Amino acid sequence: MFQPLTPFKWLGILGAIIVMLLLPMVTQDTYLLHVLILAMVFGIFASAWNFVTGFAGLKTFGHHAFFALGAYGSALIGINLGLSAWLTIWLGGLIAALAGLFIGLPILRIRSMPHVAIVTLGFAEIVRITLSNLTDITRGELGLWGIPVFDGFTVPGLGEVVFSPADKVPYYYLAFALLLLSVGVITALMRSKTGLSLIAMRDGEDAAESLGINLTRQKLQVFVVSSFLVGVAGAFYAHYITILTPAAVAGVDLMILIIAMVLVGGLGTLSGPLVGALVLTILVEFLRDLDTFRMLVYGAIIILSVMFLPKGLVTLGRRWKRPPDAAATEAE
Amino acid sequence: MTQQENTPLLDVRSVTMAFGGIVAVRDLSFTVTKGEILALMGPNGAGKTTTFNLIAGALLPTSGQIFFDGRDITQTKPDARCKAGIARTFQITQPFDELTVVENVMVATMPYHSSMSQMRKDARRYVQMVGLAERADVMAKGLSTGQRKRLELARAMATRPKLLLMDEVTGGVDQKSIPGLLDLVKSLRDEGQTLIIIEHNMRVINELSDRAIFMNRGARMVEGTPHEVAGHPQVVDLYLGEGGGHA
Repeated sequence: MFQPLTPFKWLGILGAIIVMLLLPMVTQDTYLLHVLILAMVFGIFASAWNFVTGFAGLKTFGHHAFFALGAYGSALIGINLGLSAWLTIWLGGLIAALAGLFIGLPILRIRSMPHVAIVTLGFAEIVRITLSNLTDITRGELGLWGIPVFDGFTVPGLGEVVFSPADKVPYYYLAFALLLLSVGVITALMRSKTGLSLIAMRDGEDAAESLGINLTRQKLQVFVVSSFLVGVAGAFYAHYITILTPAAVAGVDLMILIIAMVLVGGLGTLSGPLVGALVLTILVEFLRDLDTFRMLVYGAIIILSVMFLPKGLVTLGRRWKRPPDAAATEAE
Repeated sequence: MTQQENTPLLDVRSVTMAFGGIVAVRDLSFTVTKGEILALMGPNGAGKTTTFNLIAGALLPTSGQIFFDGRDITQTKPDARCKAGIARTFQITQPFDELTVVENVMVATMPYHSSMSQMRKDARRYVQMVGLAERADVMAKGLSTGQRKRLELARAMATRPKLLLMDEVTGGVDQKSIPGLLDLVKSLRDEGQTLIIIEHNMRVINELSDRAIFMNRGARMVEGTPHEVAGHPQVVDLYLGEGGGHA
């Protein structure tokens, strides 16, 4: 991860970006674009959760709280203050980041990961129950509607860009821009001293601390960055779907879906969460008819991928080649 | 000699560490001066590694004070102690499994460089010093026990410490690698590196250290040159009394 990218990898990244950019010019199929937009929103969420859990090793199961806080925060500011969604999605991110700081502080003192999991999950449940009961503000499970969409604008030479349910293309490009931004931030951090510190902290907290890494600072930083990105993803989702219910954005189902995406794609890798988000979002669409049995299928997917593909889909290619570490160890 | 040179680098004052009712270190005091090599000896459970944990900050003492370089560090956190100049190796090695050997060492060189490539270059130097050059780009989880010990040493050295704590660096290392490790430690000593070593191997202690403290049940039992300590009636008694006699 800390070596310069090979030209082959550069080409792969560039190719993926070009394909994503050209796709809406080939097809404007509303349903296909909708699925891809959701995949990108989940891709941001999965990447940001992987940043905390896969790279920094903090096993948090409450990140859906940040998604919900970003979504409701941005939507409520938009509805009540009349601010543009272009501004409020960042405010939604900030609200989530503040919550991340708030929940990051007690986690600093807990070194046992099962306890971190329970504390964060408990926090997310508090957020869900609060959103569901503050009916005067959020309308509870009836759903918050009337969320403003993104304002249109005019691009010189291209004409007017309008965000409407009928035309998914502008949303598609906006989601893609947010995805690039999020993955770009995480990648840049992971390839810097921060990334080195995080992996050291994950693999040996005591050793990392003895080598001069400030655990407090690293943990807070990773939590704030991650919750900000998840909050922005949630805020985008709010202004895209335009109706929010606590069950949909703050329910534990969402978290389990994200965990499944990251595990299937590859925990602790940069591309894994994106691959997992794409594969599972499409799969979820196929499984839509199963309705309440969906959770059963997610569970089976998590178990199967952990059993047969513990490092995720993105390591498939590497498995076919001879693993260099194993080869070296055997040679010894 | 100036006043500065007279003050000890490390000054441990009446330190006690109790875990509930079990006292792991009892009213321990000692000093280490610059350039000195001190050996901590004693049977298993004597409190040697606990003493290291207290000096490195992994444990905060129940009572007593620790001064380093003239500063009270009793309550200082481990990362700040590292920055102050204390480095340690772990008896039970703690490699960063998913980082390569050289990246493991890069973690320690971070404060000294701004760019990753400079860090990598610097880290390679230390990897080479401990004789792991051939394994530099292998994931740390692929290392043997002996190689892990050397990686611990490379990482600790790369923080450029004023005081280096080495916990059984020769433990678990194959016999033919020990002379190489000894030479390495000797070269550190010749460069003026201050060291505290925990060792069971009497030959290593004799060759390396200026002074030894023999601990038993958390307290200092005997102090002197390695030779004096090894021949002390109480020490001989302790080992022979247990039916060992292997010291």
